[in-house]
Amino acid sequence: MGSHKITSRTPGVFYHRPSPDADPYVTTGASVAEGDTVGLVEVMKTFHEVKADAAGTVSAFLVENEDEVTIGQDLVELET
Amino acid sequence: MTIRVQDPGLETTVQDTGRLGYYSIGFPPSGALDSFAYHVGNALVGNEPGAAALEAVYLGPTLEFTQDTVIAVTGADIPAFVDGEEIPLWESVAVSAGSVLSFGQLRAGARPYVAVAGGIDVPLYYGSRSTYTLVGIGGFQGRALRAGDELAIGSDARDPKAGRRLNPSDVPVHPSTAEVHLLVGLHSYRLTEDSLARFTDTEWKVTPDANRVGYRFRGAELEFVPREQPFGAGSDPANVTDCGYPVGSVQVPGGVEPIVLLQDAVTGGGYATLGTVVSVDRDRLAQTKTGDKTRFVPVDLDGALEVRRDRHAALDRIRSALS
Amino acid sequence: MTATDTDTETRYDFGGDEFVYVELSPAMSLPVHFTSLAITRRLAEEAIPGVEEIAPSNASYMVRVDPDRLHPRDLVRELQRIEGEVGSLSDDLTIASRIIDVPIMLNDPWTHEVLMKFRDRHQDPTGTDLDYGARINGYSSTEDFIDALAASPYLVTMMGFVPGLPWCFQLVPRERQVEVPKYVRPRTETPERAFGFGGAFAVIYPVKGAGGYQLFGSAPAPIFDGEQRLPDFAENDSVVFFKHGDVINYRRVDQAEYDDVRAQVDAGTWRYSYKDLEFSPSRFLADPDGTNAAMKEVLYG
Repeated sequence: MGSHKITSRTPGVFYHRPSPDADPYVTTGASVAEGDTVGLVEVMKTFHEVKADAAGTVSAFLVENEDEVTIGQDLVELET
Repeated sequence: MTIRVQDPGLETTVQDTGRLGYYSIGFPPSGALDSFAYHVGNALVGNEPGAAALEAVYLGPTLEFTQDTVIAVTGADIPAFVDGEEIPLWESVAVSAGSVLSFGQLRAGARPYVAVAGGIDVPLYYGSRSTYTLVGIGGFQGRALRAGDELAIGSDARDPKAGRRLNPSDVPVHPSTAEVHLLVGLHSYRLTEDSLARFTDTEWKVTPDANRVGYRFRGAELEFVPREQPFGAGSDPANVTDCGYPVGSVQVPGGVEPIVLLQDAVTGGGYATLGTVVSVDRDRLAQTKTGDKTRFVPVDLDGALEVRRDRHAALDRIRSALS
Repeated sequence: MTATDTDTETRYDFGGDEFVYVELSPAMSLPVHFTSLAITRRLAEEAIPGVEEIAPSNASYMVRVDPDRLHPRDLVRELQRIEGEVGSLSDDLTIASRIIDVPIMLNDPWTHEVLMKFRDRHQDPTGTDLDYGARINGYSSTEDFIDALAASPYLVTMMGFVPGLPWCFQLVPRERQVEVPKYVRPRTETPERAFGFGGAFAVIYPVKGAGGYQLFGSAPAPIFDGEQRLPDFAENDSVVFFKHGDVINYRRVDQAEYDDVRAQVDAGTWRYSYKDLEFSPSRFLADPDGTNAAMKEVLYG
């Protein structure tokens, strides 16, 4: 067992869900496969999907919904 | 001979020196936002100065070359790879047929440029190959690249050669607080003296709303001098009678979140502008990203012309050294 | 009122290292606009090396200069000279113009749907943009206001924002001119070909996008054709239809005629109806209604 952090590849605003009325992509405790979408970063009015770059179980969100994030910032922690 | 787009990145477009001469009918210039990086890229691969190149932002594209050629990556500080091997930036590199160019995570700056020997061959539209996505014209089908696109490469490279390198002392650094020179004026009289001083004293933060059209900033609130609005302007104190906007001009709708207009901006409108960023300093803005800081350093006309002359002289010196 | 009878205090300023901005007056008026036209026409004729682009606008104009060839301060001296020279000539000024029939559906369903979505950004969340415009301009009914909008032709006094968008100033005496504020906060959505109004200017939005003008109607015919598919654009070798100095007669149409124009556009056969004419500012200012009637006679026979 280890832990892995999914980081942002772009600066922008982080969103947990695909649209304001939709369910979150993932919640704490959910298991994700590599390549699964775990959130969105909006920049320049474009939405960039944040994909898991490892498989595991979501142990924590490291940023709040609608937080501004920078490149390389940790977004989601996985237990692998 | 083509480039196959495997992954377009966030927003990658074909750009050149821009579509000049049609401002009076509403065409902004478009063209590479970081003019220095664009021109040096062409010089490195041995192109004529106006050849079209690719401009990416934040995320580099993944591109496959179908024939041997020479490329150069300039602009942002971002790891670039050919077939998984890291390549130097600001240096021309030979790639073979079947090679794939890809990028890692951006270290500094915002926009990498990919110059290719011969240039990107798309049709001229009103005299330019630059993409203007707002109305969907120019560049590759008037839009940002998509996976599966095939871009033709031009055949008129002047002197393609690998191993040309920009002198390391000429490589721009991209500080997280950019300084750009601002010639205060236009409708600056609409702002109170305090607010004008606050504008140049404030470290402004780049918001997520920052693209080729313009950069929007946060950091302070500015106030307008109360007045009875002139006929034609409309009743909001931020409004003036609609007029032309210089490229690089700064407007403050509502007194919050100033906007610097860039190469794809609207050419005119009815918001008061408080000054204009010196043309060569748009290069610096182009390499700032959401979350970075920007300071506007006031200059007078002579100061603005001096900044311009120095930057152009440096580019001329670099071009002749590389030719 | 004559073309030279203006109280302008011209302001020359620099838009960075590459632009000179000249504001003839902070307020819009036809005499001021015609002075701006006279100056920019003369400047174009003189073809001064280093003058790269001339963009005339409503009560101002802008010049893009190559400061490596012409010092912006020297350009300002040239512009001041030209202003001094053309001031006394303005009575003789005529503009090669066209009067163009532009069908427009006011109070149309498409802009109505969009404007209702953005009431929270508007001065008056309870009504429509037309109701608001009618009220603040002193009209007793929205229908009277709509009649006034389409009663007299407009002059294209500026082009821009995005390619092909005409700023149109109604050719009526000041006391009959409509003026409305822009939205409190701009909309994120405007339908393609929407007819809007902001300050003292009517516009048609060439493409969909953000916008802050009051939404009053919709034009069935395109004013921007990026592929030059329609003959008006192909034959003039231009992606935009309107030109600075055009006179536009907005003609009210009902939904049946709107649909008919749309069908012609879809079939690629649509053509604007227009006639060339020489527009004389001084004659217009001396007799606005008579000049308008004469221009409509030229257009509709």
